[in-house]
Amino acid sequence: MSDLAVPVVESTPPVSSAPTDAAVLRVALVGNPNTGKTTLFNALTGLRQRVGNFAGVTVERVEGMFRTAGGARVSCLDLPGSYSLSASSPDEQIALEVLLGKARDGWRPDVIVVVVDAAHLERNLYLASQVLEVGVPVVVALNQMDAAEAKGITIDVPELIHELGVPVVPLIAKRSQGLDALTRACEIAVTLPAPGRKFVLPHAVDDALLPVVQHLEQAGFKPSAARLEALRLMSVQHAEPHLETIAGLDDARRDATVTLAQMGIAPQRLESDARYGWIGEVMSRTTASRESHGQSISDRIDAVALHRVIGPVLFIALMAFVFQSVFTWAAPLQDAIEGGIAALGSLVGGFMPEGELRSLVVDGVFAGVGSVLVFLPQICILFLVIGVLEDSGYMARAAFLMDRVMRRVGLHGRSFIPMLSGYACAVPGIMATRVIENRQDRLATMMVVPLMSCSARLPVYTLLIGSFVPASTLPLGFGLQGMTLLGMYLLGTLTALAVAAVFKRTLLKGPVRPMILELPSYRWPSVRTLGVTVWQRAMLFVRRAGTVIMSLSIVLWALATYPRTAPDPLLSEMSQQEQQLEQSALGQIGKVIEPLVRPLGYDWKIGVSIAASFAAREVFVSTMGTIYGVGGDDDNAAALGERLKAEVDPNTGRPVYSTLVALGLMVFYVYALMCMSTTAITVREAGGGKIGWSWAAIQFGYMLALAYGAAWLVYTVGRALGYGG
Amino acid sequence: MSTKLPVLESVTQPANGLLAEARPCALSQCRPGSRATVLGLDDCGSDEACRLRALGLCEGTSVSVIDARHAMVLDVRGTRIALGSALTAGITVQPLPAVRSARG
Repeated sequence: MSDLAVPVVESTPPVSSAPTDAAVLRVALVGNPNTGKTTLFNALTGLRQRVGNFAGVTVERVEGMFRTAGGARVSCLDLPGSYSLSASSPDEQIALEVLLGKARDGWRPDVIVVVVDAAHLERNLYLASQVLEVGVPVVVALNQMDAAEAKGITIDVPELIHELGVPVVPLIAKRSQGLDALTRACEIAVTLPAPGRKFVLPHAVDDALLPVVQHLEQAGFKPSAARLEALRLMSVQHAEPHLETIAGLDDARRDATVTLAQMGIAPQRLESDARYGWIGEVMSRTTASRESHGQSISDRIDAVALHRVIGPVLFIALMAFVFQSVFTWAAPLQDAIEGGIAALGSLVGGFMPEGELRSLVVDGVFAGVGSVLVFLPQICILFLVIGVLEDSGYMARAAFLMDRVMRRVGLHGRSFIPMLSGYACAVPGIMATRVIENRQDRLATMMVVPLMSCSARLPVYTLLIGSFVPASTLPLGFGLQGMTLLGMYLLGTLTALAVAAVFKRTLLKGPVRPMILELPSYRWPSVRTLGVTVWQRAMLFVRRAGTVIMSLSIVLWALATYPRTAPDPLLSEMSQQEQQLEQSALGQIGKVIEPLVRPLGYDWKIGVSIAASFAAREVFVSTMGTIYGVGGDDDNAAALGERLKAEVDPNTGRPVYSTLVALGLMVFYVYALMCMSTTAITVREAGGGKIGWSWAAIQFGYMLALAYGAAWLVYTVGRALGYGG
Repeated sequence: MSTKLPVLESVTQPANGLLAEARPCALSQCRPGSRATVLGLDDCGSDEACRLRALGLCEGTSVSVIDARHAMVLDVRGTRIALGSALTAGITVQPLPAVRSARG
């Protein structure tokens, strides 16, 4: 691709002017959503990323390191996708603060890279025109050149450089084309003067804005940034947090809007008129687009995907495919992991003398952690499939299709994305509610996100479904197991909608905000971005398995092993171990819990596992693994599921786990909030302090009541109808 | 047609038989496939209007209606934007005559 050469780079002096090796260049990455910004970030940094939060807020902060083509070290901050610097959401507010050098953690960019979608240049130049005025050197990354070419758009890059006054680097980030030119342009840009405003306002308008500009300059804003902020403030209702402390600014702002209004200029449309007016001229001088005949590919896909009848059918079929694939694709990998861990456990056990320590390692650590790690393939596949839907552009269509349903319960389409993320994990789901501007809508969404079945419930579902639901095939090739899983997800989803409706009509009354949603062009997902996402989530899960779940496994092993009792020699070996377990500390705790879970059809072993899993749901499986690892008569016993099926009530001689009990247990897990991380994030996101804690308490309480009630109902009604013991 | 506005009728009805230029209306009244120029965002609420302008849907912009149901899908400066009915009802537009050569 020779047309990807960068004129600006060729005409500049060699890299000697770049910062020395010791200095780290700080680069901020901004851009509209769907410009391939994250793809570019991943291509630059690979897996050298640190994910955290911006100080004081829960906007995700992703920072990565890379080296430029010239060898300089770069610390790169991936700012949340923004359509403008209008600060109309917490995401855009953060982007604005970081760019202006007002970030609370003190991170200041040396260079700003604006990622611009070449196929939608006009809209993308709006953000770029704002960033040019921030007062920091800027590089424009003109991404998705291939998509622009496919649409018949040609861009005169040298002319665009001339118009913007900054380096412009054409890129195809998903194929890693143009990256060296971009990093070199960053090194060079840092030595260039900061760009500024490229258009002029009428003198009278400039005069009207002057008092606002002066207030901002006195507060330490660079002249260019002060003019940017002054113009922006004309279109907002009140100053944002980073401006609140400037005395007299709000009065000056109000005076300026009055002056403008007297001149016959609507202050709220001043900025968009000025910028889009300039953008129109730039577009006419830099881009040419071939006369397009008929619809684009994206429109043709939408004719089906958004079709009134086919659209919703396709949506449900896609969701069914997601859950089906989680089940079928993961099976061989799970078998491999299960076999590997069992082999490793007996190998390690073989080197150790018979005794307490060997029991701890084999029955405690390997049985406990292993029983959770087995679910790694399913979690990877779930994140992969959700990633594909998101990256391809379908997720926005799903939000559009769901808008009507969401509206009926009092939420809007935007709430659908946090809820869908909730399928993967409630924590990012609750964090994703920050795209909802209205606090009432935000809280209502937050309250119900944990009802969406997250990946931590998957181990519980799959263990129980795999053991107790027959693997028969239904018409159209769908398996009964996969459909039971889909049923659990649907149950959670429908309940979430119902509960949201209740919240919006009681505690969180308020009007529904209207939908504004971009439907990005469909595109092939980037393999690298998917890989990084899946890798990060998998590592998070493994780390949890290695810390929280491992320590709980050891504690539970100890509770299940001590105090030791003298075995009754008259009993069989199996019954001896059963007796030991019942008299252990864990057994005694279980006996205390048992009356509470009896009405649901559970024995004390399930009761203990539920109690232990209030810290994290997956612990249910590892606890069962530990209990049956300890209670079992053989180290490398059959898989846990087989053990559960074989479990017989010593009093009645009937199986403990009927399909009905398993179903009730799954329903319990659909509803119960058993995740410390979710509670912690709800406290913080709902406003922290006392308010945050009360919302978290409401969330925990209603979900527990729902779980117990529903599980009881399933068991009672099921028994009345004559199913199971 | 109305008899109340004879003068207007005669002004907007060209002699060559083409349809009269339509009067300004709410965007929500436009049909799929039609084009219109935005005249005002006054009935959208100021926060929403601010976001619409940043997305390129500001006064003077020409938009195409791609799809219209409970919500609308619009072509705004080459991007596809979906808007809820509360917003499309609050946007005043001037409908434009259909472009005849659009489908080649």
